[in-house]
Amino acid sequence: MSEERSLLRRLRDRDERAFRELVQAHRDRVYNICYRMLGNRSEAEDVAQEVFIAVFKTIDSFREESKFSTWLYRVAVNHCKNRIKYLARRHDRDRDELDENSGGINGATTGMPVRAPQPDRALEGIQMEEVLREAVNSLDEEHRIVVVLRDIEELSIEEICEITDLPDGTVKSRLHRARLALRKKLQKHMTS
Amino acid sequence: MTTDNEDDIIATLSDYVEGTLPAAKKTEVEAKLATDATWKRIHGELVETTKSHDEISGLLKARKEPAPESFTNDVTATIHKRSAGLFFGRRTFGDRVPFSALLVVAVIGLLVIGYILWSSQTGSLKMDKRRGETPGSSIEVVPKP
Repeated sequence: MSEERSLLRRLRDRDERAFRELVQAHRDRVYNICYRMLGNRSEAEDVAQEVFIAVFKTIDSFREESKFSTWLYRVAVNHCKNRIKYLARRHDRDRDELDENSGGINGATTGMPVRAPQPDRALEGIQMEEVLREAVNSLDEEHRIVVVLRDIEELSIEEICEITDLPDGTVKSRLHRARLALRKKLQKHMTS
Repeated sequence: MTTDNEDDIIATLSDYVEGTLPAAKKTEVEAKLATDATWKRIHGELVETTKSHDEISGLLKARKEPAPESFTNDVTATIHKRSAGLFFGRRTFGDRVPFSALLVVAVIGLLVIGYILWSSQTGSLKMDKRRGETPGSSIEVVPKP
């Protein structure tokens, strides 16, 4: 804890080495949250960068009332939500333009950029990753957040409540519904 | 337990399935499970998802994505680029412009100027050269020989 305090103090003093230490310590987790939320590596990298820049810029506003990591993940989740909204708007706009240009022939797609399913999908390696990515991506944003934080990042329900600003009961019920939906989508790929 | 809101039922049953519910509540839940169809249905779903959850969670965790190797350098370089190299290093007044302090200084300055104008006999910030002069100091009473 005192190490974290000292790192925060150095961050507030605009110490570049402290910033690098911070990024090094949390980059994988922040990147993974962004990747699972956005389903795209380059978007995830871009958003994860923005998260660290925002944290560094606003470090003075962190009051140390919660764990630093909780605050960091909250910033990450908020950035991801904003990017999802932006991508959905951009997708809608692109679709409208496509409709206008093609007379509405090719426009039958929905909100998030999910790739069209391919036939012959095997269960292992890269293809299993694709199946999982698409299954997580197909969840509603509010369900995706809790699955990513709980089932992938293994955060506690209390931490998820703090990050999402939701009451305990809502987090649990969303988690249950998300797991039900995920199970339905992945059922044919599971052994049990 | 008086409400039948589905979110509340799920939250209570999640704790029941995970074994974190206090003994008194546990008895209450078991009574509900014996009589209430909604409670029974949600309990069934929770047991099913718990069974498959470990497998799904295992698959997801096994595929955690590490950040690219160059990530730390990239983000630091982005900060340097955006701020033309000025981002790191403490600023004289911190990161925020101290607007409130500047406002106080400005108000005090205006008050001082206002007071000077109000008390000035020339009606401007110029000094009245004659002010404070005694008649004897400007006119030589005894002419030089």
